[in-house]
Amino acid sequence: MKTELATATILAVIAGMAVANFTLRFTPIAVLSRMELPRWLTRWLSYVPISVMGALVANEVFRPGGHWQEPVTSPYVWAAAITGVVFKLSKSFLGATLAGIGAFVVLRAVLGVG
Amino acid sequence: MPELDLNPTDAASLHAAVAQPRSARFMRGVRLGIPIFLGYMPVGMAFGVLARTLGFSTLEAVVCSATAIAGAGQFIALSLLAAGGGVWPTLAATSVVNLRYLLFGTTLSRYLRDVRFPTSAWLAFTLTDETFAVNIADQRKHTASAASMAGVGAISWAGWVLGTLIGATGAAWIGDPGRWGVDFAMPAMFTALFIALAENRRHVITGIAAAAIALALPLLGRLGIEVHASCVIIVASMGAAGIAAVVFAHED
Repeated sequence: MKTELATATILAVIAGMAVANFTLRFTPIAVLSRMELPRWLTRWLSYVPISVMGALVANEVFRPGGHWQEPVTSPYVWAAAITGVVFKLSKSFLGATLAGIGAFVVLRAVLGVG
Repeated sequence: MPELDLNPTDAASLHAAVAQPRSARFMRGVRLGIPIFLGYMPVGMAFGVLARTLGFSTLEAVVCSATAIAGAGQFIALSLLAAGGGVWPTLAATSVVNLRYLLFGTTLSRYLRDVRFPTSAWLAFTLTDETFAVNIADQRKHTASAASMAGVGAISWAGWVLGTLIGATGAAWIGDPGRWGVDFAMPAMFTALFIALAENRRHVITGIAAAAIALALPLLGRLGIEVHASCVIIVASMGAAGIAAVVFAHED
């Protein structure tokens, strides 16, 4: 692992990411918000948010860092379950997130992995 | 489609449900986004620490977060740069990871018909997994407005940038941010947002299908079909949403 990167490389990556991210984010909003989308497409889009969250949760919880972890002994899986229960009961997004992080720290210490 | 109203009348409802003054709606969004702020702070700190150890100055790390606001994308950029990847491969990889913003932008565009340029650009600029989910959940309750979405974006951006600043300036004494459970800040947020969005049976089934596809895709590697990790989220979410649109077509 290199420890020092050239300033020119860093600046080029910063500028490139800024442009690329804004383009990806803004193009559909700028273009599509003026158009009438076909019914099948809006129906498809209505299922996108829940699908993205499902995929993100699965990826982060079952494959943290890109590696599959045995679910029964994974602090990620148990902490996610606790987060879910706390959110379901409290309806508090903040409370659930903090409870999840707290549970994760404890479970990681207990289970010794992650 | 009662659960996620994508028809034009509901794009209008976004503006109809706005009896309060603009500043009050903005502040309501700020309050809605406080959990995101608190979740982004530690992860932003982790980014700041890591960026400093790889040779970013504090200013460079902060500017990077302030202009990119791309959690996973920024960490991937750091790891590729550290591994000696050049500028273009790094940009290509982070853009692939962030392709899902195209999907978010497309979904969000339904609600932003009457939102004008500076505001629409700000909403696009601050579009992340979390702001998207919070705003969509809020919109379902017919309480979202362009101003509240701008507030959610502002507080989230502030958390990400402030976290990066703290991490970058305190890199030497913070050490490994992982010991404070930072690794679980994003998974915890995603879990709560998943449940917030899973309003009915169709959503639960669709979300679980997306999760199953996301977990199954890496297994294709054993068959010699490599699905790059950065594509898994996009393929899984587009696939599950497509299946749901077909299977539940008659229920809309």
